[in-house]
Amino acid sequence: MATILETAAAVGCFQTLLAAVEAAGLGAALASDGPFTVFAPVDAAFAALPPGCVQTLVDHPPQLARILQYHVLSGAHLRQELVTQPEWPSLEGAPVPVRCTDPFEIKNAMVIQADVVCDNGVVHIINRVILPG
Amino acid sequence: MTTATAAVGTTTPLIPPSTHRYAEVIHRLEAGGSMLPDTPENLKQIIGIYKAYAVPMDFYWRDLLYIAEQVFLNPLPAFKYLISQEYLDRPCSYSGDQSKLRIWRGGEKAHPELVEFMERGETRPMPRLLHHLWHDRVNMEFAEACMQAMFWHQGMGGRFNDYLDSEAYRANADRAIKAYFRGNPLMLGLYKLFPEMLLEQVKQLSYYANLGLFWEVMAPVFFEMSDLYDEGQLTSVPEAMDFLVNGIFAVAGRPIYHQVFIRGECFEIIPKSEGLTWLYEAALPYVEAVFYRTSPFRGTKSYNAQAGQVPGNQADFHYGILYADVFPVGSAGIPPTLLMQDMLHFLPPYLQELYRTHKRGEEDQLIQLGISFQRSMYNVTSAVIQALRIALLYPLDDCDPQHLLANRHFFEAQMDRFLRPEARLPQIQSQAYR
Repeated sequence: MATILETAAAVGCFQTLLAAVEAAGLGAALASDGPFTVFAPVDAAFAALPPGCVQTLVDHPPQLARILQYHVLSGAHLRQELVTQPEWPSLEGAPVPVRCTDPFEIKNAMVIQADVVCDNGVVHIINRVILPG
Repeated sequence: MTTATAAVGTTTPLIPPSTHRYAEVIHRLEAGGSMLPDTPENLKQIIGIYKAYAVPMDFYWRDLLYIAEQVFLNPLPAFKYLISQEYLDRPCSYSGDQSKLRIWRGGEKAHPELVEFMERGETRPMPRLLHHLWHDRVNMEFAEACMQAMFWHQGMGGRFNDYLDSEAYRANADRAIKAYFRGNPLMLGLYKLFPEMLLEQVKQLSYYANLGLFWEVMAPVFFEMSDLYDEGQLTSVPEAMDFLVNGIFAVAGRPIYHQVFIRGECFEIIPKSEGLTWLYEAALPYVEAVFYRTSPFRGTKSYNAQAGQVPGNQADFHYGILYADVFPVGSAGIPPTLLMQDMLHFLPPYLQELYRTHKRGEEDQLIQLGISFQRSMYNVTSAVIQALRIALLYPLDDCDPQHLLANRHFFEAQMDRFLRPEARLPQIQSQAYR
């Protein structure tokens, strides 16, 4: 198996996410033992954000890190575990709600593929960048 | 258009119509519109007033940052409104050639109309101190009233207030307080006796910085909208709202911070590395505190708190511009009136003409422009509502009825805030409200 970041790099549709993780200085943390649960937005999800949004965040790593941390939970949680409670505390601090179990939706994002198991956690691929609030 | 509501008459809507009292407004929001009806006159009124607002706002944000960063804890801040040239020339982060994210095509220094007004005032050119003493100047008290509304209401989401209560903030403030009063045994003694007093002042100054950084964005946004309208490139109310929505997202991640300069040394009271953002820690609390809540200021209208005329719960306060009865507010020294008077100095000619031809003409321009301001702020609030919907919910053309219902519930919950009789939402639906 591979780590979360290695797995994401191999898939090929997480270029923006990986660049953002690098810019925010979270690479080392996500390469650590964890374990983590990562809701990983695909490139199209970042591209769908209004113009300028991503660039402003990339220019300000602490602010970018905060948004990315909202996509990460502590511990490795598979879909069958996630659906057992309505919300989960993110590393950002704000809760991430599980809005729908079938189809599986995290906040306002659809889970395209759940349960990608990695060495240091689990990745759920989502179609939208989720934001706290 | 592909939204459920817009498709009525051509295909079966995915969800039934709303039965809310403001169903018409909700359906308009679901079709990508604003709470303000899309009419040429509404567009003219709101863009004209954005321009008139942006010029004094260019002063407000510069002076708020000047006070937060330079005046700081001056015990007798008599000259805090006499902003330094350095801050008048301070490059705006969102206009000018140096800007990394240029929103307005104009220059980075204080707006030319503002500079001209500061020299001439309503009277005639004279030293700035005389203009100040004659109160012939920008009403900075309005900006401070907005800051105080944010400071007083606090806890409106975001992390700003949490950080102000943290040990890290206390330590940063302590360093700055001791450095500022170095060699002043009287103030240092006072600080030792009453440490919370100066800390509370620093917290208020952090709100000065917060609001200054918020308005540094909004002034160029409004200037650019005015220029686009003058060129014929902004042709409808929804287009104006969408421009605001895009602006909100473009700068959402801007850091909110507070730094102070003491004898040339920079002290970081809220470092940028805390990750505080423009959207969560400034924009959303500002809209809540200033557009919705504020406080029942004294004017020709009195409130009796003991008789329950003022809500016991701060969250139920409803004295912002979205609820204001502009006419009785119009007394000297009342915050919204201070702003109205500031905007009066910078009205574009087409709005002056509009006001001359309605009601009592020039006699009641302040009231007419106050109502235009109310319309314009309903449009800004619509932009915030749509931005929140984009961030937290679903696209308007989503095909899943459950998602459309979630959007519906969100819009209805927002409109519930305007069910109270003071809300001006019903009035702004009609052009006769002036």
